[in-house]
Amino acid sequence: MNAHPWRQRLYHVVLWVVAIVFFLPVLWIFLAAFKSGGELVSPNPVFLFKPTMENILRVVREPNFLDYLKMSFILSVGSVLIAIGVSFLAAYSFSRYRPTGTNFIMFLLLSTRMVPASAVVLPIFLMYNVLGWSKTFHGMILFYAMFSIPFSLWILKGFLDGVSLRYDETALVNGGSRLHTMFRVVLPQLKPGLVAAFIFNIIFVWNEFLFNYILGGKGTTMIPVLLATGVKQGGMTDWSFVASVSFIYMLPPILAIYLFQKYLLVGMTFGTVRGEV
Amino acid sequence: MAQTTFPAESPAAAPAIPKARRRLPFARALDESRFFPTILLGPVLVFFIVWNVVPLLWLLGVSFYRYKLTAAREPRYVGFDNFIEIWKSSEVWGLLGRTLSFMVLTVGGATLLGMVLGFLFWGSGRLPGRRLALTLLFTPMVLPPVAVGTFYRLILDPIFGIANFFSEKLVGQRYDFLGNKDLAFASTIAVDVWMWTPFMILMTLAALASVPKAELEAAEIDQIPWLKRVWYIILPNGKFILMLGILLRTIDAFKTTDLPYLMTNGGPGNTTEFVGLSLYRTGFEAFQMGDASALAIITLLVAIAFASIYLYVLSYRETRAQLK
Repeated sequence: MNAHPWRQRLYHVVLWVVAIVFFLPVLWIFLAAFKSGGELVSPNPVFLFKPTMENILRVVREPNFLDYLKMSFILSVGSVLIAIGVSFLAAYSFSRYRPTGTNFIMFLLLSTRMVPASAVVLPIFLMYNVLGWSKTFHGMILFYAMFSIPFSLWILKGFLDGVSLRYDETALVNGGSRLHTMFRVVLPQLKPGLVAAFIFNIIFVWNEFLFNYILGGKGTTMIPVLLATGVKQGGMTDWSFVASVSFIYMLPPILAIYLFQKYLLVGMTFGTVRGEV
Repeated sequence: MAQTTFPAESPAAAPAIPKARRRLPFARALDESRFFPTILLGPVLVFFIVWNVVPLLWLLGVSFYRYKLTAAREPRYVGFDNFIEIWKSSEVWGLLGRTLSFMVLTVGGATLLGMVLGFLFWGSGRLPGRRLALTLLFTPMVLPPVAVGTFYRLILDPIFGIANFFSEKLVGQRYDFLGNKDLAFASTIAVDVWMWTPFMILMTLAALASVPKAELEAAEIDQIPWLKRVWYIILPNGKFILMLGILLRTIDAFKTTDLPYLMTNGGPGNTTEFVGLSLYRTGFEAFQMGDASALAIITLLVAIAFASIYLYVLSYRETRAQLK
């Protein structure tokens, strides 16, 4: 299509430059994680420096950090697994039996994800206080499961609608039970949807701050809260701490979009737009 | 003789019918139940009722009370007073206006930039290292807003921030990006645009991918000018996905809470305090649960309005796709 190879090369260089420009601020923080304290807050930015592992080691040795990181992991993976489990059942029902009100329930669920976080957390906070669920592990994980359900349901239903009804018919005619049909015949066809729902829900929970800050307690705190409170506790901000924590915490999502790039579109649109980029 | 051959034959015919699988009793009950579809919905409905319907009713109830969490006084029923106060309060109208201008500017900025760059990346199919390049490009939108807000404070710091290093080199002046009223508002928008332009690039690429190849090739052969191709071929085909992208961005911009909370803490003054953050402050810093609930109900209504527009466009697109 392109007659001039040098023009194509120039075009490719431009694309790379655009991509790198978008990444530069992140790169700057990543570099900061490997700078010594003095280099980090020098009025003349230091571009060349001897990398040090000091900051990262200090953060990892911090007693709370690993606990919080572990909690980020447990809460995001656990809640998304619960959400995908229950969403699959509902998505199967919606896709195969289309009970009355399907569209309405799907709409209500999606709209819960479109409300500002502070408006969502306010009544839950009041309710949890009365039920005694605030600061508990189950309160947190079940809340995040609810948080992940709308997106899982939308994405799984979208993919299920794409799985031919023949699978169900064949399985049922051959004497399979309904559960067998659902889990052994239809579920395996759903792998891309499951992967996309899993990865992107985990990213959303992983990055979540406000709910965890308000509803979480000592044993259920995740890293974003550590970052925010670490910054907000008066006095000077410990920038090498912030940089190292951000570095460690931002790597998994970046890695995820590298590995699962083809699900990025469906992931970022809550499963409402499908396709690859 | 015939009697001996007959039983010998039947086992030969039998293997065609498999032995009926033994099933668990509950599986059989499920198989026969008329309510199977409803049973499948059960768990999601339980989640929905416990974490959405009950809290919503709770919120509605509290919004009719004067209820300060830290005060020893009992909540007092005040009817629609909280709503009337919001209606009369110039602060709330200022807040809504500020949020609206933030939404318009950030969504507009991200959309324009994203569409231009999306068109630029349209032919990137053979870019060497495309996957890595796109990962770098799309990184901003998967980062925790809390971390983004925090590290932009470092970048925009008046003394050792790298932004000021460049502004001094280029313009010969240093700026207090987060301390000055107008600059803080502009900086918040700039960071939000940086974070979400990749999303609009993604949506533009998706929209472009949905344009039929045949129509584009026909345009190529007829040598139709570029602007006309965009207007007559690309936009009619891609407009739905673009609209969905813009709507999702609008909804998200309306929700913005974490980013200004960490970056400017809503300041200086309240220049970067948007609905989400203000709601948080009324509820969890001033503990005015009644006022906060009333404000939450209003934002809820706005959000539902946005969501229904979004779904309207979505279903319109689907029915149109089925007609084609």
